[in-house]
Amino acid sequence: MERKDNNQAKAPQGEAARILTEFLEVAISCIIFLKGVYPHGAFERRRYMNVVVHRARHPQLRDYIHSSVNGLLPFIQKGLVERVVVIFFDNEDFPIERFVFKVNLNLSYGSKVEQSDLEFSLRSFLIKLPVSESLTKLLPRGCRWEITAYFRALPEASTSKDSELIWIPTDTKQWQQPPLITPIKSMNSEPLGVQLYLEHPSLSEPKP
Amino acid sequence: MSLNSSSRSATSNSNSKRSVTSNSNSNPSTSGNNSCRNNDKRNRKRKTDQNQKTLGMAWGANSRSSSRSAFRNSPFPDFGSYMVMKNQKLHQQFDADASSSSVSGACSGKPIFDGVSIFVDGYTVPSSQELKGYMLKYGGRFENYFSRHHVTHIICSNLPDSKIKNLRSFSGGLPVVKPTWVLESVAANKLLSWIPYQLDQLASETKKQPKLSAFGFKSGPVLDDLEESISGQAVPQSGIATLRTSCSLEANIFGKAECTEEVEECHSVSDDPFHPNAAESADQAPTYCMENHCEVELDAAVVVQSDAGYHSHISPCQDPKSDHNDCLEDHIIEESSSSKTIRPSTTGHSTLSDANFVENYFKFSRLHFIGTWRNRYRKRFLSSANGFKDMNPSRNAFATSQKTTIIHVDMDCFFVSVVIRKHSDLKDKPVAVCHSDNSRGTAEISSANYPARNHGVKAGMFIRDAKALCPQLVILPYNFDAYEEVADQFYDILHKHCNKVQAVSCDEAFIDVTDLRVEDPELFARAIRTEIHETTGCTASAGIAGSMLMARVATRIAKPDGLCYIPSEKVDDYLHELPVKALPGIGHVLEEKLKKKQINTCGQLRLISKESLQKDFGVKTGDMLWNFSRGIDNRLVGVFQESKSIGADVNWGVRFNDLNDMKDFLLKLCKEVSLRLQGCGLKGRTITLKIKKRRSDAGEPVKYMGCGDCENLSRSVTLPMATDDVDVFQRITAQLFGYFHIDARDIRGAGLQASKLESADRNMRGHEKYSIRSWLVSSPARKSSMAKGKGDQLYSDIGPPVQARGSFSGGEAYVAHRATLPALHDLDVGVIESLPPEVLSEINDLYAGELISFISKKKEKNAGNNVMDEEQSLSNPLVPPNKDFVHNVAEKIKSSEKEDEQYINKMIQGLPETSGSVTALLPETDSLMPSSLSQVDSSVLQQLPEELLADVLESLPAHRRPDFMSNDVYLDHIRDQTGAIDFLPSNNLWVGNPPRWVDNFRLSSCQLLNRIAVLYNKSSPRGQFSSVLQLIMSEYPLDDGGDDAVNCLCELMKQYIKLKIETDVEEIYTCSCLLRRLTSRSELFLQVYNCIIPHLQAAVGETYGGDLNICFIE
Repeated sequence: MERKDNNQAKAPQGEAARILTEFLEVAISCIIFLKGVYPHGAFERRRYMNVVVHRARHPQLRDYIHSSVNGLLPFIQKGLVERVVVIFFDNEDFPIERFVFKVNLNLSYGSKVEQSDLEFSLRSFLIKLPVSESLTKLLPRGCRWEITAYFRALPEASTSKDSELIWIPTDTKQWQQPPLITPIKSMNSEPLGVQLYLEHPSLSEPKP
Repeated sequence: MSLNSSSRSATSNSNSKRSVTSNSNSNPSTSGNNSCRNNDKRNRKRKTDQNQKTLGMAWGANSRSSSRSAFRNSPFPDFGSYMVMKNQKLHQQFDADASSSSVSGACSGKPIFDGVSIFVDGYTVPSSQELKGYMLKYGGRFENYFSRHHVTHIICSNLPDSKIKNLRSFSGGLPVVKPTWVLESVAANKLLSWIPYQLDQLASETKKQPKLSAFGFKSGPVLDDLEESISGQAVPQSGIATLRTSCSLEANIFGKAECTEEVEECHSVSDDPFHPNAAESADQAPTYCMENHCEVELDAAVVVQSDAGYHSHISPCQDPKSDHNDCLEDHIIEESSSSKTIRPSTTGHSTLSDANFVENYFKFSRLHFIGTWRNRYRKRFLSSANGFKDMNPSRNAFATSQKTTIIHVDMDCFFVSVVIRKHSDLKDKPVAVCHSDNSRGTAEISSANYPARNHGVKAGMFIRDAKALCPQLVILPYNFDAYEEVADQFYDILHKHCNKVQAVSCDEAFIDVTDLRVEDPELFARAIRTEIHETTGCTASAGIAGSMLMARVATRIAKPDGLCYIPSEKVDDYLHELPVKALPGIGHVLEEKLKKKQINTCGQLRLISKESLQKDFGVKTGDMLWNFSRGIDNRLVGVFQESKSIGADVNWGVRFNDLNDMKDFLLKLCKEVSLRLQGCGLKGRTITLKIKKRRSDAGEPVKYMGCGDCENLSRSVTLPMATDDVDVFQRITAQLFGYFHIDARDIRGAGLQASKLESADRNMRGHEKYSIRSWLVSSPARKSSMAKGKGDQLYSDIGPPVQARGSFSGGEAYVAHRATLPALHDLDVGVIESLPPEVLSEINDLYAGELISFISKKKEKNAGNNVMDEEQSLSNPLVPPNKDFVHNVAEKIKSSEKEDEQYINKMIQGLPETSGSVTALLPETDSLMPSSLSQVDSSVLQQLPEELLADVLESLPAHRRPDFMSNDVYLDHIRDQTGAIDFLPSNNLWVGNPPRWVDNFRLSSCQLLNRIAVLYNKSSPRGQFSSVLQLIMSEYPLDDGGDDAVNCLCELMKQYIKLKIETDVEEIYTCSCLLRRLTSRSELFLQVYNCIIPHLQAAVGETYGGDLNICFIE
C-alpha cells in the first residue's frame, strides 16, 4: 500500500504510531481477505514490506478500512488505544470470531525509531496470518464484520482537528462467557508491542 | 521416456533434494534407463553433453503429483520438456519487457549488466521483483529457474546452513552475492566487482585460513566440468603451489592479497587494488565475471595480469610474484596519472568565455562563502558543540526553575567592517562591498557600512544607483580570507565565554548564559563586545533578553555598536510597536497577508485570537504568530543545525550556445556538488536539477549577465543508494536535463542539489551497526577479562579465608572490609578447617594467633545455632588483603557448608530493606562498587529483584559482566561438596543470562533436568523456552524424573508465564502446545502440564479476559 508522509509523526512514538496504522490497514485487509467475506476477486495482490498481501479493490471497502484505522492514529499516538478488533458477526449481531490486535506503545521511549526495525517484526504478522487460517472458524453465510477499537480511557473532548471523525458505538453483542483465545503472533520491540490473537466464543457460551 | 520411470527416479532420489540438484541425475529424459548404482559415473559424462539442466526441473521432477496429474493431458510428453518450454517462454517474455524498458544507450554505451544473468534465491531486500526490474533496465538477465549454464550470479541475502556447507552443489561454483551489488552497480553505472559483495557467510568462511581442500575442490568455473573431472590428481599439486604463491604475495606492496589462484582472481586484484577482500574469494570466481570485466575495462594491465595469473596456474612451480607486482604497479600508476587533472585557469565573465566559470563563480560568491562557512564552523567547533549536547538534560531540568538569559551577538555590517578594519581612514567614510567596482555597473552591493546607509545605500542595490545616491562611496572587493579569520576569532571568543553557542551565520550567534549564573548579563555582554572589538577590530552589537526572539529584537535596537537589555517585564512595551516583519519566520508573503488584514505591528497582531490565526494561517504558523507577538519563544539555544541538502546554484552569467556547453557546465556543477558533499562527509540520495529558463517574452535582463525574468523548472530523482560520486551525478543530471527538452540558449541559471543526506561513514558500513558481528568483535576483550577472573580465582586458593557475608548488607559495610582484614567472627570455620595446614598457619599469623582459639570457640557455637554472635567481634587492623579474595573465598566457604546457601537465602530474603539501600547508594557512590564482579557473590545478585539487579549490573564495569554466573569453578565446588543440590524455588529463575534455572537444573540429580539445561544452551533463539521444548521433542527416550523434577518444571513454567504473559502470549501458547504434545511421551510432562494449566488460564484470564484455547488432559 502507499506510504504516506505524515507531518505530525515526528516524535519517535509518532513515527511508530504511523507505521502501526499503516500496518493495521494492511493486516486488516489481509484478514478480510483471509476470511473470505468477499469473493477473492475483490482483492488484488500487492507487495508490502516485501511480502505479498491483498488489498481490497472496491473503493468503499478500502476506504472504510483506511479511514477507520487512520482515524485511530491520533489516539494511538497518545497511547489511548488498547486493542483494535476485527469482529465477524452473524446477522443477529452475535460475534463469531474476533481478531484482536493488542497494542502497546511505549510513550516514554526516547530514541529514534528505525522503520526497518519495526518492519522486520511487523512483517512476521503478515507472513503468519495466511498460514493461520486453520485456526479460524468457517463463517456462516450472511456474515458481516466491523472494526472496533477499545480504549484505555475515554478520549478527551476532541480537538477541532479530530472532530470530523465520527465514531459510532457498536451494535455487536457481547459474549456472556470469557472467550477462548488462540494467539497468532506476538512482537515486542521498543517502543511498540503488538499481539494478534483470535477470540472465539467459549464452549459454554449460550447459543443465541 | 515414460512417466513411470521419471517418477521412479524421483523417488529414488527424493530422500535428498540436495543430491538431486547437485550431482545426481534429475532429468527424466535420460534417467529412465539407468539404475541408481552407476549414477556417479554417468553424471560425469552427462555434465559435458547436457546443457539444459536446471534446478527447476530437478525440483519439479521431485514432486510426483505434478508430474502425474498435470501432464496426463498436456501437450508435453514429460515434465522436462515442459520446463524447457516454460524457460523458453520466460526468456521471451523477459526479452520483450527488456526491449521496452531498458534505458536508451544515450548516456551509457553499453548496458551495465550486459552478460550478467542473476538468479535470486530466497528473500532479499530489495525484492526479487525489484532486482528483476534493474536487470530489465540495465541490460541484464533474470532467471526464474537456476541453471548453471545461464545464471552468472546468484543473489541472496541469507543462506541456510545446509547450503553453506554444501555450497558447491548449491551454487554450482557461481558467485553468491548480496543484492547490494546490483544496487551499487546501478548507482555507479558500471559493473562493480562482485567480490566485496560476496555473501557474508561465505566471505567469513573464506577469510579463515584457507584449507588445502579449498584450493582443489572448490576451484572456479574457469576449469570447466571436463577439466574438473580429470583434475583429480593434479589438484593437490596446484593447491600447494597456490599456497606458496599466496605467501609470497603477502609481502607485496598491498599486503592484502592473501591468496591467488585463478585468472579472475588476479584480475580482481587489479580491478580494485585497494579492496581488502579482493583476493579472498576467488575460488568461486566465475568465468563470466572475468569476461565482463575484461569487456568493461580492457586495459593493458589487466590483460598482462591475467596472463600472469594464468601462468601461475598452469606452471605451479614458478613463482609469479614479480609479475604480479609489476602489473599491479603499472595499474596504480596509470590510475593516479588519470586522476590528476590540470586545467589552465582563465578568467571571463560567463559560461561562454570562461572554461572554469563554475569554480570562479563560487570563489567570488559571498553567499557561497556564508553557505560553506557552516561546514567550516561545524568542523572547528563540533567538539565543543557535542560537549554542550551532553549537558542538555541538566539544562532542561533547570530551565523551569531558572529564568533564562540569552544574548544575541551580531557583528555590525560584517562584510564591510572586516575589509576596512585595517584602514582607519575609511572608518567614517561610506564604504560598500561588491564584487565589482565598475561604478556604472549592475553589480549588486552586498553590504554597506552605516555612513553609507545614511546616504540611503542598501544591500542589493546596483552600484550605479548607489553611486548616484552617494558619489563619494568607496567600493571594495571581498576579502574572503579575512572573513574567515574574523569569523573564527568571533566564535573563539564566544566559545571561550560560554559553551552554549548557537551559530546563526558567520557573524551572528546566540549564546545561552543561564547556567553561568552571571550576576549582571549587561556587564558580561559588554565584556564580550569589548573583547571582540579588541581582537578583530570590528564592532559587534548585542541584545539580551529571556528568549531568542527578544534577544534578536534587542539587537535590532542596539545596532550599531550598542547593547540593549530587554527584561521580561518590558517585553510588551518593546513589542507593541514592532512591525510584524521584524519577527523571524515572517517573510514577504506572510507580511502581505497580514497587511491585508490591517495588521502591521505586533500590538495589532496580539488582538487576534489564537484560533482565528490558526484558521487563517494554519495550525503551526498561527501558533507561531500568536506566540511571537507575545514575545513567547520556547526555542532553546540549540546546537548547530545539520543541513538538509547540499547543492550549488548558478544563476548569473549563464549563457550557452548549444547543448554541449550546457553538458560541460553541468559536469562542473556535478563536480562542485560532489566536492561539497565530500567536504561534509555526506552522501545524497535524491538529486534535484533546477533550471532557470528565460521566459519567451523576456528580453535581455537589466542586470548585466543576470538571469532576468525566468521560469523555474525542477526535476529530481531518488537513487537506491546515496552517493557523492561525480560520475553518478553526471549521469543523473544528464538524464534529468533530458527531461526538460529545453533550448540551451534559453537557460539562464542552473542548480544541482543533493538531499536525503546520509553520512558517508554510515553508508560505508551499511547496516553493520545492527548486525551481530559488531557484538562478536568485542568478544576477545571479554575473553581476556574472563581469563583474568580465573586468575583471580586461582590466587584466592592460597589467600586468607575471609568471610564476605558482611558485604551483603550494603556498600558501606563492604568498603570497610576492603580496607582491613575481616573481623574474626565473620570467618567461616568450615572453610578454615578444610584449608591446608600451612595456609591455616599463615592466616593465623595474620590474625596474630587469634584464629586457632577462635575456631575452637566457633565450633561450640555452631553446635547450638547458626547465628552470628556480635559480641565476638574483634577489630584487627591488619594488612589489607587482596580485595579480590573476598568474594572467592566466600564461595568456598559456602560450598563447604551445605546449609550455608540456605542460610544466605534466608538472610537475603529477610533483609529486603538492606538490599534497597544498595541501590540507594549506587548513584553517588560508584567508587564504592567493587571493581570486578568476581568480588560480588553471584548468589546475592541472583536473589535481587530484577530491576535492582539491572541497576547493580549497570553500575559495574561493563567488561566484567560476562564473569557473572559463568562461574564453573564455583559450581563444581558445590557439586563436589553436596553431590546434588536441592532445587530451591525462588522468584527469579529467569533472571540473568543464562537464567538461573539453567545452573540449577544442571546441578540437579535428575537426568532430565540436566538434559534440559544442556538443551537450553543449544536452543535458538536463546531465552525462549519454546525452543528448548522443541529440542526436547526430538530427544528420546524421555526418562521420568520424579516429583522433584515435576515441581521444578512447574515452578519454572509458572515464572515463565508470569514473565511473558503481558508481552508475548504467542510464546506461552507455543510452550503449552509443545508441552501438550510431550504429555503423550512422558508421564512427567503430563503432570507438569496439568499442574500449570490452571495457573496459565488464570494468568491469561487476568490479562486478556479469556481462556487460552487449550484443554486439560485426563
